[in-house]
Amino acid sequence: MPPEPTSPAVVIRQLGHAYRATRRHPPRKALDRLDLTIPSGAFFVLTGPNGSGKSTLFKILCGLTRPSTGTIHIFGHDLIAAPRAARAAMGVVFQKPALDKYLTVEENLRIHADLHDIPPALFRQRLPEALAWSDLGERLGERVETLSGGLARQAELVKVLLHQPALLLLDEPTAGLDPGGRLAFLATLKRLQKKRGVTIVMTSHLFAEAEKADLVAILRHGKLLALDSPTHLSRQLGTEILVVQGEELDTVAQDLTRHAGLTLQVQNHELRIQGESRELLALMAELLQTQRERIHTLAIKQPALEDVYIHLTGRDLFSDEEEEKR
Amino acid sequence: MIRPALSLAKRELVRFFRQPHRVVGSLAQPLLIWAFLGAGFSPSFRAPGMEHLSYAEYFYPGVLLMLMLFAGIFSTITLIEDRAQGLMQGVLASPAPRMAIVLGKVAGGIAIAMLQAAPLLLAAPFLGIPLEWSGLAWILFGFLVSCLGFTALGFLIAWNMDSTAGFHAVMSILLMPMWMLSGALFPLDHAPTWLWALMTVNPVTHALTLIRTPLYHTPSDFLATPAYWNALIIAVTWAVVCLWLALWRVNRVEKGADMPA
Repeated sequence: MPPEPTSPAVVIRQLGHAYRATRRHPPRKALDRLDLTIPSGAFFVLTGPNGSGKSTLFKILCGLTRPSTGTIHIFGHDLIAAPRAARAAMGVVFQKPALDKYLTVEENLRIHADLHDIPPALFRQRLPEALAWSDLGERLGERVETLSGGLARQAELVKVLLHQPALLLLDEPTAGLDPGGRLAFLATLKRLQKKRGVTIVMTSHLFAEAEKADLVAILRHGKLLALDSPTHLSRQLGTEILVVQGEELDTVAQDLTRHAGLTLQVQNHELRIQGESRELLALMAELLQTQRERIHTLAIKQPALEDVYIHLTGRDLFSDEEEEKR
Repeated sequence: MIRPALSLAKRELVRFFRQPHRVVGSLAQPLLIWAFLGAGFSPSFRAPGMEHLSYAEYFYPGVLLMLMLFAGIFSTITLIEDRAQGLMQGVLASPAPRMAIVLGKVAGGIAIAMLQAAPLLLAAPFLGIPLEWSGLAWILFGFLVSCLGFTALGFLIAWNMDSTAGFHAVMSILLMPMWMLSGALFPLDHAPTWLWALMTVNPVTHALTLIRTPLYHTPSDFLATPAYWNALIIAVTWAVVCLWLALWRVNRVEKGADMPA
């Protein structure tokens, strides 16, 4: 069944998932009545701290686990009731390698084509196109174990492109890549989205990656904390942030409460002040005059998604992950 | 369905031959056991009614069976790592029916086991066992049935395991004793009653009958005896049940628990 052109790529309704109680732990809610719609053709990044539910959501989306409650439709196909039609429209790139290292790149690609019932003639026809963007053209006959991390990632992506999926699901696909490899991989995804209209859904815990997306969903405790474009999310904060590092920051903050319209937060030995840029410049001058002895550094920075997270939760990612571990 | 299954079976074979230590290890172990036990026990082995047999000859079908069973079972061990990180993740997320995963893996395992056990059949004439083509065909059929059951069982065990260490533990407390109590090492007839009972309900005993009988009797003779048919029915039933259980397990996708309030 071809995807219906008007359907969104993914429609999630009231999705709940709980892990069974074990001897040591009570049952744990990983996803809590989640509603989420991903439009067709979007570059969508799902982010949040470890334990926020993003890996569980990924496992459910690629069909490895069935949710406790709720429904998911992929281009109009019910993923739970009719998984085969939904899966045929998806290409999945896992965080851990899903290639056989004893086989050559081409043998791995052939197995993937066979799993999607692509006859050999069609495989040969599609191979050049799936490979075109990659650096693997010369290395098809080499075993996967001889490839570098970056090339092995490329092989994963070439593999899933063979069946021409309308939706690409990627779980932390850039994990383990160096910054250059990471940028190149993301650029390839962007190109696939632009040229072929492929919907990209990837999980990432790197906010820098989320900023490249059209839409970002931030999950926390299995719930949607925010869903918007990176620009809109950043705008929620006011234009800029003044970051103050130093001593007795609570006293400094207390002193600043007399200014109306400022949002002040003291976190991890940092005072963060959100406001208009002109206002912050004036404040900077004032702080240097009145609080010089308490201040080590002062900086005005553009808000990043990480700041949005701190703004929305009042906590940084690091302390949230620590709490999840406990 | 057929394309994915064949592709996965072929993968098993290619992988096997690309890891020479696996080829050497799985062939060498049964051969060494056969050589040492055969040489060691032959002077003292006098089973009633089998005085004319050397232990090396008595043990021969048992070694063939050991090769078949263990080669088949070991080929499923790769599933454990493959599912958490490896090719199987992609297979599970693909639209290929899950039955193709079982059939591909089991067919691949059987092919590997056959390739290892078949050359050992060349030893039969040197033991003084005259092997005819028809007898050979029935032995290969016995290989197929016994290996099918045990590879499917290996699949079922591996699918439920998180570590290869757990798999080895099951091998040594379940599968190894099943082989030892099959009549491969010593005859069933004069065993103590409790052991005899265990051996009689053991499906490997019947798989061994499927291999031992055609070595000494012509098909027209043994097909006329209820003993062979008994063994055949039990071994086939065992194979079908194991395969069915493996299919059932693979089709069962993990589901979330009830939502806590």
